[in-house]
Amino acid sequence: MGNRTDEDYNFVFKVVLIGESGVGKTNLLSRFTRNEFSHDSRTTIGVEFSTRTVMLGTAAVKAQIWDTAGLERYRAITSAYYRGAVGALLVFDLTKHQTYAVVERWLKELYDHAEATIVVMLVGNKSDLSQAREVPTEEACMFAENNGLLFLETSALDSTNVELAFQTVLKEIFAKVSKQKQNSTRTSAITLGNAQAGQDPGPGEKRACCISL
Amino acid sequence: MEYEDKAGRPSRPPSPKQNVRKNLDFEPLSTTALILEDRPANLPAKPAEEAQKHRQQYEEMVLQAKKRELKEAQRRRKQLEERCKVEESIGNAVLTWNNEILPNWETMWCSKKVRDLWWQGIPPSVRGKVWSLAIGNELNITHELFDICLARAKERWRSLSTGGSEVENEDAGFSAADREASLELIKLDISRTFPNLCIFQQGGPYHDMLHSILGAYTCYRPDVGYVQGMSFIAAVLILNLDTADAFIAFSNLLNKPCQMAFFRVDHGLMLTYFAAFEVFFEENLPKLFAHFKKNNLTADIYLIDWIFTLYSKSLPLDLACRIWDVFCRDGEEFLFRTALGILKLFEDILTRMDFIHSAQFLTRLPEDLPADEVFAAISTVQMQSRNKKWAQVLSALQKDSREMEKGSPSLRH
Repeated sequence: MGNRTDEDYNFVFKVVLIGESGVGKTNLLSRFTRNEFSHDSRTTIGVEFSTRTVMLGTAAVKAQIWDTAGLERYRAITSAYYRGAVGALLVFDLTKHQTYAVVERWLKELYDHAEATIVVMLVGNKSDLSQAREVPTEEACMFAENNGLLFLETSALDSTNVELAFQTVLKEIFAKVSKQKQNSTRTSAITLGNAQAGQDPGPGEKRACCISL
Repeated sequence: MEYEDKAGRPSRPPSPKQNVRKNLDFEPLSTTALILEDRPANLPAKPAEEAQKHRQQYEEMVLQAKKRELKEAQRRRKQLEERCKVEESIGNAVLTWNNEILPNWETMWCSKKVRDLWWQGIPPSVRGKVWSLAIGNELNITHELFDICLARAKERWRSLSTGGSEVENEDAGFSAADREASLELIKLDISRTFPNLCIFQQGGPYHDMLHSILGAYTCYRPDVGYVQGMSFIAAVLILNLDTADAFIAFSNLLNKPCQMAFFRVDHGLMLTYFAAFEVFFEENLPKLFAHFKKNNLTADIYLIDWIFTLYSKSLPLDLACRIWDVFCRDGEEFLFRTALGILKLFEDILTRMDFIHSAQFLTRLPEDLPADEVFAAISTVQMQSRNKKWAQVLSALQKDSREMEKGSPSLRH
């Protein structure tokens, strides 16, 4: 799956990055879109954006990624950011249990505002700090499985699984979109919500989880 | 010439290079790196025609280099002159502020002369004083009160770090967990506040000051607490004021209606501010307004960052301080006027961008925004819509939304 020029694409997928403050959302994004990591990135206020176009089969898919602020207080105003999102990376810091403990609340928030068919991946970030790990892989994996989420552990710092995480989410969305048998591939943002009832797996339905690393 | 000695051909007068050099009253730097060498003595000499051609080419190159360097030198000289001029005018402005304006603040601050000087930017050496005076101290916060709040904050940090239980129950409703989260968040954000300045981070000279102000504020206003964005505001104040004065300015600044609406994340009121902004947006930039509308680019996407941090995160610090200068004078209206100025400055490119590119552009503005251009753009923004001023438009919208709320109490965006 190579990169294409940014302006040449068949699909736009809106993907949101959510999770507590300081778990590394902005760095995951900069690693994926610019292959950069910053030890001293700034607090995100509101929302920031990045895009990257990837090839999935013969289709060029432009990922339009919304990097949101993690502060709980902001949620009332940031909920509008979920609108139209077809994918989400729910990020926690695997060295801070507190950021994992609130994952369920984030999930609820997400399902309250986004399409029910949204593809969600639970992402345990900072896997490079394994000596400081507070969240066991099995625990997070189990949670993901029970909630029908994809799951991966990543490190934005050493790049581990960052590419894979985004690609997997995009592929999953793409598979859903293809299933909708949209015979037109014109350039437009894709909504999964309008799919006929029963055709798409609901959020509760189990999907492939724990991709082998 | 050295090279000719080495080349062992002293007998060929006059060297083309010497000719060139003789004509130069200005010695280009690059000629020292650009020397026409003849072939080494052990090789057969160039044919005369080729040698002539090389000489010509060489002369042309040197001439071009000379031109370039002359230009560069002129540019540098001009830059230096401009810099001196700017510094001189800052120096004069400092005198005016210190000797004329500050001693007669009450009578002078709203005069035309002072307003003009103010618009050009307050000199950094008096900036803190002017900000303090302009922001005022409606809350009557004293240095002693700051000390008390700070002492209380420190007590809490100690008890949290030793794992002690509730210190007191006067803050019923704000659980220990909330306070701890807030404290953690402050720590996290301090390291992410102007990280490139390297002065607020752990071990940096202003780390403790920033920590103190934010901590003291959460004790002073537990109902507001710490909200992201505050660390940037406190940091900018610290750059211009002593700790206690920075705290006073910080608390009073956050107490202004617009800042309270945002930092308490009063969703309804924030929407009212965005709506008021859009009234002036449409008035000033109808084409861009329609373009954004078509692309579903709502104002909150870029305004949230700009308003929460008062532009200190999104604009170069020098420029942000100049925005603060006028914000302290004109109030919240100027924050929205600035936003319109930025949009106006980039109207042409923004109207050619789609949603995601505009959103990306506005949430990450160019790093080298020239202050003069931004201020020129701001100055052309009219804060008047159908004879109504900002405050009137805002209060009319507020009234509307209150009436709507009565109709459907749980109305949400």
